[in-house]
Amino acid sequence: MRREVKQMFARPLYMFASAGVMLLSTFFFLTLMKQGAAEKMPVAVVDLDQSSISRRLCHEMQATPSVDIRLTTNSYPEAREAMQQGHIYGIFVIPEGFYSDLVAFKRPNVDFYVTNAYTVGGNTAYKQMLTMVNLISGAFQREVLRKKGLPDDVIMHRIQPVAIEGHMIANPWGNYSIYLVSTILPGILGLICIILTIFAIGFELKMRTSHDWLRTAGGNYTVAMIGKLIPYTLVYIILGIGCHLILYRFAGFPVNGSHARLMFGLLLFIFAMEAMGIFLIGCLPTLRDAISIGALYSMLGFSLSGFTYPVMNMLPAVQALSYLEPLRHYYLIYVNEALMGAPVENSLVPAFSLCAFMVASLMVAPRLHRALVYQNYPLK
Amino acid sequence: MNLQILNKIRDTWWVFTEELKRIFRDPGVTVIFVVATLAYPFLYKAIYWREQITDIPVAVVDMSRTPESREFLHRWNAAPDIRLAYTCASMAEAEKLLRDQKVHGIIYFPHDYADQLADPLGQAHISLYCDMSSFLYMKGIYLSCNQVMLESMRNIQVDRYEKMGMGKEFAWTLVQDAPYSETALFTPTGGYGSFLIPAVLVLILHQTLFFGICMLGGTAREENKQLFRLPGHRRGYSVLRIILGRSAAYFVLYYALAAVLLVGLPRLFDIPHIGNPCDILKLMVPYLLATIFFSMSVSVFIRNRESGMVLLISSSLIFLFIAGISWPKEMIPAAWRYLSYIIPYTSGAHAFIHINSMGASLWTTRAEYYTLWILTGAYFFTACALLFITGWWTEHKAKKAA
Repeated sequence: MRREVKQMFARPLYMFASAGVMLLSTFFFLTLMKQGAAEKMPVAVVDLDQSSISRRLCHEMQATPSVDIRLTTNSYPEAREAMQQGHIYGIFVIPEGFYSDLVAFKRPNVDFYVTNAYTVGGNTAYKQMLTMVNLISGAFQREVLRKKGLPDDVIMHRIQPVAIEGHMIANPWGNYSIYLVSTILPGILGLICIILTIFAIGFELKMRTSHDWLRTAGGNYTVAMIGKLIPYTLVYIILGIGCHLILYRFAGFPVNGSHARLMFGLLLFIFAMEAMGIFLIGCLPTLRDAISIGALYSMLGFSLSGFTYPVMNMLPAVQALSYLEPLRHYYLIYVNEALMGAPVENSLVPAFSLCAFMVASLMVAPRLHRALVYQNYPLK
Repeated sequence: MNLQILNKIRDTWWVFTEELKRIFRDPGVTVIFVVATLAYPFLYKAIYWREQITDIPVAVVDMSRTPESREFLHRWNAAPDIRLAYTCASMAEAEKLLRDQKVHGIIYFPHDYADQLADPLGQAHISLYCDMSSFLYMKGIYLSCNQVMLESMRNIQVDRYEKMGMGKEFAWTLVQDAPYSETALFTPTGGYGSFLIPAVLVLILHQTLFFGICMLGGTAREENKQLFRLPGHRRGYSVLRIILGRSAAYFVLYYALAAVLLVGLPRLFDIPHIGNPCDILKLMVPYLLATIFFSMSVSVFIRNRESGMVLLISSSLIFLFIAGISWPKEMIPAAWRYLSYIIPYTSGAHAFIHINSMGASLWTTRAEYYTLWILTGAYFFTACALLFITGWWTEHKAKKAA
């Protein structure tokens, strides 16, 4: 172990790299999504009517928090081109004669177009335009009813006899940052763990210094392994706790369950990623191959954990694959603890699954031990 | 004079063939350049196979138990997005299902739901609880419920207006005074895969090139090969020939791969591909060149094959997000946004989405296209300059040692 600490400090690059990458990503993702919810998405209005009511409509739309009218034009092709250039996410078309048709009860048709090539922008623009169309309709009904001499509060209930109250559990602001960053950052930490673990062991193999390493440990594989990994593990734990504190204390992400259990889940996840690192280098004792596979494996974890696209909706074979990713299990613990405030039983299965990854690292022990002793592997 | 030029061309050709040999002799690099580039798209397509999120399980807590609430549920259940999986007697029961992740939403009708509807002055409330563990749950549950609500609302409104003594026809006209039609332009299915996979395809080209070139640079460093030197030339000042020769090798290989990934795969995967293939191929020229020179510039700093790996890997996520594709670019703080323009991926991905997914012409997306050419020029210069400096520095040290 002492030897490893010395080695670790002799090559400060790795520690610097891991802590640096972690800090940089934390800083990057927290500042990137500082605003949380998508606001002021640019849209275009094609105003073919040019009446007082269409202009008022534009004003009201501009006053809403989620859209920003970047372009007011009377040519649809112009708006369409702006969309193809990525300047706007939605087009709202007010037809010619809108106002006169409306008062003549001729039911003028309003069109709106959104792009799905950019999901978040398109969705936000869509929701807002849908609300706007219903508001137009409501405003017009109000005018008609007023002329019939009805009081305003009576009118209001006529216009909207049913209302939906939406409750977004644990994230009432619909904050994107909470939703994405709380899985991405642990994922990056896990990626660092797996790569550095592979590196720490693989470097001995690459440099053919494994005999020296084993000798220091008195020829005992277990002692050698534990001694080697303790200093790294300490660093990961510090990074993990730091990551937890930054997200849930400083950035103020909600935790409805227990902080301790969530943090414990993160630590188990870190150990599982380390164990997978040992497993990979044990299977593939060539440093560069193991690192490439480790990188591929941990990158897929982000998609397979299901925090953007639900696992429930994946093909059955892919669903099965998702259980091979520690990040999936951490995400389940996170949903239970941070979002749902679920009882501890719910987190037991993912927690035990994370422990199962550690067993995988024991399975390769004989093979890895042989590799350390005989150095019988290709160097390249 | 002519002979000199001919010699230079011959040198460049030599570097070119030598680099191709280096790529294919190094299994690690071959795997990254060819196997990973071709395999990753299939993996992502498999993950995002189903475009729409369908049958999200929802729990029902119906305290009103009336034909009105049942009709609402009946209509909602017809929406493909959701599935009414459980009917619960109490909110507590439904909350438990949600905590156990058996359902991802709860709809709650209060006792007085039908009474409020019957009352001409009443306003009925429906409560909807959404699981926020994935935004796609919320989107599916909320939008489909909203649609049903608007529909039911119109029927109720017409009833109420009729009771006020309006004719049915007039009531309908009033309720739908400004009907609307909504169109999702370019990508009618609007699935998650249709949106993400094009961006991922462009990222795969960028990152495999970036990794591969950095790996080659690192290996050369380890083996003490001097990449800034041509054999037979005493001083390593043949930078231009080396850069041109090496980049030509990557370019030829990647141009073929890019044609497969960006023109072939969208057709095979049946994701949107309404762009002109010629425009995509034209766009790929500056995109690949900018990426190659960008990677060559960075690779100068890579000391050995494996170091910096962590940095390179986590860069994939950062590049994806900073480009402003999954998180809208308008929401990205200005500093990050300006920084994002120096990464070829940003302009390349947007331009590809504009052409491939939205049918823009190369001229329409010229802003990104020109940016890529500017980046190509700038990184060509930095790659040459850095190689020249490394060469000079190594010679300098060697002289000192001697």
